[in-house]
Amino acid sequence: MDQTIPEVIRTIPLQYYVFFATALFAIGVLGVLTRRNAIIIFMCVELMLNAVNILLAAFSAYRADPNGQVFVFFIMAVAAAEVAVGLGIIVMIYRNVQNTDVNLLDRLKW
Amino acid sequence: MLLATTATYQPADYLPILIQLGLALAFVAFSMVVSHLVGPKRHSKVKDSSFECGIESVGNARTPISVKYFLTAILFVLFDVEVIFMYPWAVNFRELGTTGFVEMLLFMGLLLAGFYYIIKKGILKWQN
Amino acid sequence: MLSIILLSVSGLANLFLGFNRSNRLILPFVLLVLAAVLGVTVSGIDTHGALAVWNQSPYFTGMLTFDRYAQVFTGVMVLTTLLLLPFSQKYVRDGNANLAEYYSILLFSLVGGIMMVSYNNLLIFFLGVETLSIAMYVLAGSDKSNLRSNEAALKYFLMGSFTTGILLFGIALLYGATGTFDLAQMGNAVRAIPAADAGLRPMMHIGLLLMLIGVGFKISAAPFHFWTPDVYEGTPTLFTGYMSTVVKTAGVAGFFKLLFVAFGGETIEFWLPTLTAMLVLTLFIGNVGAVAQTNAKRMLAYSSISHAGYLLLALVALQSGRLSVNAIFFYSLAYSVATVAAFAVLKLVHDQRERDDYDGLNGLARTNPLLAFVMTVAMLSLAGIPLTGGFFGKFYLFSAAAQEGHIGLVIFAVVMSAVGIFYYLRPIMAMYMKPAAEGSDAPVFVGGFQSAVLVLLVALTVLLGVWPGVVEGMF
Repeated sequence: MDQTIPEVIRTIPLQYYVFFATALFAIGVLGVLTRRNAIIIFMCVELMLNAVNILLAAFSAYRADPNGQVFVFFIMAVAAAEVAVGLGIIVMIYRNVQNTDVNLLDRLKW
Repeated sequence: MLLATTATYQPADYLPILIQLGLALAFVAFSMVVSHLVGPKRHSKVKDSSFECGIESVGNARTPISVKYFLTAILFVLFDVEVIFMYPWAVNFRELGTTGFVEMLLFMGLLLAGFYYIIKKGILKWQN
Repeated sequence: MLSIILLSVSGLANLFLGFNRSNRLILPFVLLVLAAVLGVTVSGIDTHGALAVWNQSPYFTGMLTFDRYAQVFTGVMVLTTLLLLPFSQKYVRDGNANLAEYYSILLFSLVGGIMMVSYNNLLIFFLGVETLSIAMYVLAGSDKSNLRSNEAALKYFLMGSFTTGILLFGIALLYGATGTFDLAQMGNAVRAIPAADAGLRPMMHIGLLLMLIGVGFKISAAPFHFWTPDVYEGTPTLFTGYMSTVVKTAGVAGFFKLLFVAFGGETIEFWLPTLTAMLVLTLFIGNVGAVAQTNAKRMLAYSSISHAGYLLLALVALQSGRLSVNAIFFYSLAYSVATVAAFAVLKLVHDQRERDDYDGLNGLARTNPLLAFVMTVAMLSLAGIPLTGGFFGKFYLFSAAAQEGHIGLVIFAVVMSAVGIFYYLRPIMAMYMKPAAEGSDAPVFVGGFQSAVLVLLVALTVLLGVWPGVVEGMF
């Protein structure tokens, strides 16, 4: 096989990538809205970000435009920074309340 | 245009996947059944315990882990991810020339400044 | 560009300054840096040049533009921070262990804000949003042992990163529909999509809607406002002030640029109804919600929601061009100055009396006439009373919207400002009409430098209200 990676990506129709990414994204959104554990909510957010990455990579291959892939790099780096801060916040809360259930945090009413 | 289907897929095209799936399931069932039928069966108290040998397990596996592991892991992730910016740079090293090299030096310098900050802050000291 | 470099380098230097236990040096250093950045930015504004040249700058192959638009809003944000930071002296006095880090994070977040108003490429916009937001998550939780602060940080972080995902999905769909991240090229591509295109046009519409949701979250526009009161209440007061001024200015100015450059023209037909609905809802929820509050910080949170609504008027009136840019600029300047004054007073009172409900302000007029006066001027400006900067801010916004024919919206906004007067008067009544509680009637300590800054804040507010021409010609 001497196909380049964009060519391999283009062997599957673009709609499939869009549907797949949208499905992943929707699962992530549903998870954020229904789960009550901060760490699981956070994992769902990561799922959303990765759905975006897939979408960008697919568009980038179909458009033959590298900008989309560069954007993916930046999303990854920013997501790592977000993980660091987010887990830091969760650890800080765990030290104070010994739990990561968001329902316990009701000192500030919605 | 962009969204137009580039190839049409027939249901028959997915047959290899089905065959693969069937084979995988069949292998699992086959090996379980055959090992059950063929293998010798002897029961004893020692043989049925979860660990036949080694030292006795002590306590719960889910003990609190020192937050230092967490810090180190997070720092690893942070510095690890920055490497992805070096791949495009390395691939285009010749085209980017001296400017690109200086820019990457600056980038690494900023990362090193962060690393120096972490060391000065004493986060990597394991003892205290 | 110089402002970004200066802020980043001094933020880094500041981190290392913290090692020398020279805590007293840090605040003057940061203030000096901010003053220098403000000087560089304001002196660089070319008031005779073109209003904005969207695609001219050489920085990063045209991804960043430092035209007049970017410089003026950078100036507003840096000025706000400069005026806010003197009230952090209590952290210095208490010998807070992470003092240098807080200031550095603040400087870095300001870099994010500047990127959000000077971007020319959605990549930079995203990086700016994240630089600003991630810094704010940390600052929201900076009171580490206080559960309220922890909770505010967690809520802000979870909602914020959720929003980031939505914003990014929007950007990805826009990229799919137009094939570019560059604003000007995106504008061309959007105009080139035929109106009847069944594939790309819906994709672009969904992408734009998702971006609208994402930015709506960041500037706390209804119906994406629900995190605001909680986060504002739990966050340490100083950083709440920063959140409600700099973050809002950057968000609105950045989003205006996106809509103006890439989605002006006939695309406006698509997003205008959505934005109008958001505006009406935001104004209503912000103003009506503020009436019911008993906590001054929560009241200011709802008030900041309502101000996001007023600022959206300028986005609705986007077609009026220079008029609405000027309105955003003047309004965000007047609003920032008044909000900084209000939060400064709340912070000083909180430092001593340890509470931030209305009753905590009781009797302030007797114990601290200066503080009470500053708070009064701030509240009047936020309410939009004549002779304060807030009046002309609202005036410019309403006239821009009226020029574009949104008379109904303007009437609704005026009615809502009338509701605003009611709740802005409540802290004033608490300060002037009610006696202080037993045991807490000692004067609140205000440093000499802080008093000077407070007087400056009042002077700025009144100056903007008496002579709005002083900043005229920026746009």
